[in-house]
Amino acid sequence: MFTHIYLYKLKNIIRDRNLMFWTLMFPIILSVLFWMAFSNLTKGEVFHDIKIAVINDTAYKENVNFDKALSYVSADNEDKLFDVTYTTMDNAKKLLKDNQIEGYIYFDDGLNLTVKTSGINESIIKEFLDYYVQTTSTATTIMAKNPSVHSSLAKDLSNKVQYLNEVPAGSANPDTVVYYFYTLIAMTCLYGSFWGQKEVSDIQANQSYVGARVNIAPTHKLKVFSISMLAAVTIQLIEIFVLLLFLIFILKIDFGRQIGYIVLTCFAGTLTGVSFGAFVSSCITKKEGIKIAVLIGGSMIMSFLSGMMYAGIKTLISRNLPVLSYINPANLIADSFYSLYYYSGYSHYFLNTALLCAFTLLFSFLTYITLRRQKYASI
Amino acid sequence: MQVFKVFFKLIKRNFGEILLYLIIFLILAVVLSSVNTGSQYSGFNQTKSRIVFINNDENSAIVDGLEDYLAKNAVIVDMKDDSRTLQDALFYRDIEYIVKVPMGFSEKFYKGSDAKLEITKIPDSISGVYMDNMIDKYLNTARIYVNNMKNISDEELISYIQKDLSQTANVNLSSANTVKEKDFSYYYNYSAYSLSAILILGVCSVMLVFNKLDLKRRNLCSPVKGRSINLQLILGNLVFAFGAWFIVVIVSMLLYKKDMFTLNGILMILNSFIFTIATLSISFLISNIIKSRPAMSAAANVVALGSSFISGVFVPQYLLSAKVLTIASFTPTYWYVKANIIISSLSQFNAQSLKPVFTNMLIVFAFAVAVLAITLVVMKQRKTVS
Repeated sequence: MFTHIYLYKLKNIIRDRNLMFWTLMFPIILSVLFWMAFSNLTKGEVFHDIKIAVINDTAYKENVNFDKALSYVSADNEDKLFDVTYTTMDNAKKLLKDNQIEGYIYFDDGLNLTVKTSGINESIIKEFLDYYVQTTSTATTIMAKNPSVHSSLAKDLSNKVQYLNEVPAGSANPDTVVYYFYTLIAMTCLYGSFWGQKEVSDIQANQSYVGARVNIAPTHKLKVFSISMLAAVTIQLIEIFVLLLFLIFILKIDFGRQIGYIVLTCFAGTLTGVSFGAFVSSCITKKEGIKIAVLIGGSMIMSFLSGMMYAGIKTLISRNLPVLSYINPANLIADSFYSLYYYSGYSHYFLNTALLCAFTLLFSFLTYITLRRQKYASI
Repeated sequence: MQVFKVFFKLIKRNFGEILLYLIIFLILAVVLSSVNTGSQYSGFNQTKSRIVFINNDENSAIVDGLEDYLAKNAVIVDMKDDSRTLQDALFYRDIEYIVKVPMGFSEKFYKGSDAKLEITKIPDSISGVYMDNMIDKYLNTARIYVNNMKNISDEELISYIQKDLSQTANVNLSSANTVKEKDFSYYYNYSAYSLSAILILGVCSVMLVFNKLDLKRRNLCSPVKGRSINLQLILGNLVFAFGAWFIVVIVSMLLYKKDMFTLNGILMILNSFIFTIATLSISFLISNIIKSRPAMSAAANVVALGSSFISGVFVPQYLLSAKVLTIASFTPTYWYVKANIIISSLSQFNAQSLKPVFTNMLIVFAFAVAVLAITLVVMKQRKTVS
């Protein structure tokens, strides 16, 4: 009996093309889009030379050292930073207005920079100028006190010593890009709720024809229901693993090395998702459309709060409203993956997984309470 | 005008789903544009990052001087030197940067041998680069003094470095209002996603009904002229599309008030108008290809999300790889976003500065015409088949 119901349920689920699309194809398509949009973020953006102008007047020509420093960073080689136009003040103003340059530099009682906005390129120009002014100040001070060191000073000024040694925070660096993929898996787990919803509808006589037919069968309802939930979990797990394999082997997302724990999270997340769907479906007695809308809305809000659309949300919540991050299943799933990837210990991971299991039990229990002993006088 | 009326009855029936995308958009637009305003790239008036400074070395002049200097340019948070606490704080962005001075650092530094500070930061963060730079500058300046002034006292060293590093170049902003203008360019970029989703859903949900074979046959034998039915349908589509566009514009006026009535704002509105036409044309094509309602939701999501992701709606175009942008250039969204970027940075309006804007708009419009032509061919083919 068990195998009979189980196999037919599997067939029934696989033939639901619409739900198969949302629970399997859609996450894969979304992951490809994430990958296309984010893959360049980590590799470091392609650096384009910054276009600047220098006012070529007598004040500028007096500052030979600055001219040297500037020609050094604007020479045509790999370290090229600026694309310099030497021109007059009027022309530079016009170029700036027409967006032909990012800013112009002139000497008038010290070094001056005029820019239009304050962006990253403008900061780089300013950083370069500041560095020049500061180094000049250092050199002037030393030359005033100790003029004999001229040659060694010049050498010291031109070579920079690296004093920083970067140490990663945990077993890996906190990386927001992989986090987007973790939230994507969390969303997919929550989309498992569609299967849970379907299984509950399929056992309620007033919700579907299949439900009406199942209700007149002599099999125990709890038996039918548990077996069909098992089938739903099976399919959802397979889908999650297909997505996981796709992410690891085709998109090459870093999941850390603890494969066993990753599988455990997928399992816990799937159970939470499917039982969440069953719970929503059992307590809403309206039409299927409403149920689906609640599920989509619910999983979208949870994914949003876990940082799927904007990773900063997660930080915002954990700083201001930490409770919310512990009652949000999407956040718990994504956070489990992340703690495996980032933390060296497991306490954070186990807390998340335990909470997921607690949610599963809660949802299952509530579903059982609402579904048991349902009788239909008329449908 | 029966057909026209039926058009909006059908829209009304699907209003819930359409409204969902409008609400998602409004939340996205408000949240993200408030987050994006002057966030990480706030340039010259940097917000101070929160950092942790841990000294495992003795209190030498150079380390104390560095700590003082960092305290002036960042907020030093007092935290226990425990890897778990620090990991958590860094993960939740409570702190952004950790400096650890290892044992014997000062001695090595004065000797000129391999002295290294251990730093931990959020990778690829702007604040990280700034802090790196700050420490680098401080220690390198100190090194130059130590190497070239043999008998320099600790007090002299610290005060000289402080004097040097307090020097900066003067910066003038030529126009003050340009930063604000970027807000509504974010808004209009996000609107590309919602407009696509809303139009595809709306147009498809109506056209699916009219394209049903039985219904089509019934309509063909009605006394209303075929041309009249088609004209009313076209009118319905146009009214619906421009209605959606109008809501986007009205909300932008409520959110950004005066800024929308500048030339930049008006160009942005014009740009989104043209984009609406192109999207309508694409929606029309999709409505003629798909056959069922589930396929409609799928197509709406995939097309709207897909084109938005690769065209720089969610992730700025300059962060996308060249390959992705090449693919994106086959969608009107890419050219629409491109025009938006140019418009938001315009401060002078002449033939030369406006030319790229209008070129991009023209390309979007060309998409509209081309897709419409394809749709007509598809329709013709389907007619002859059925």
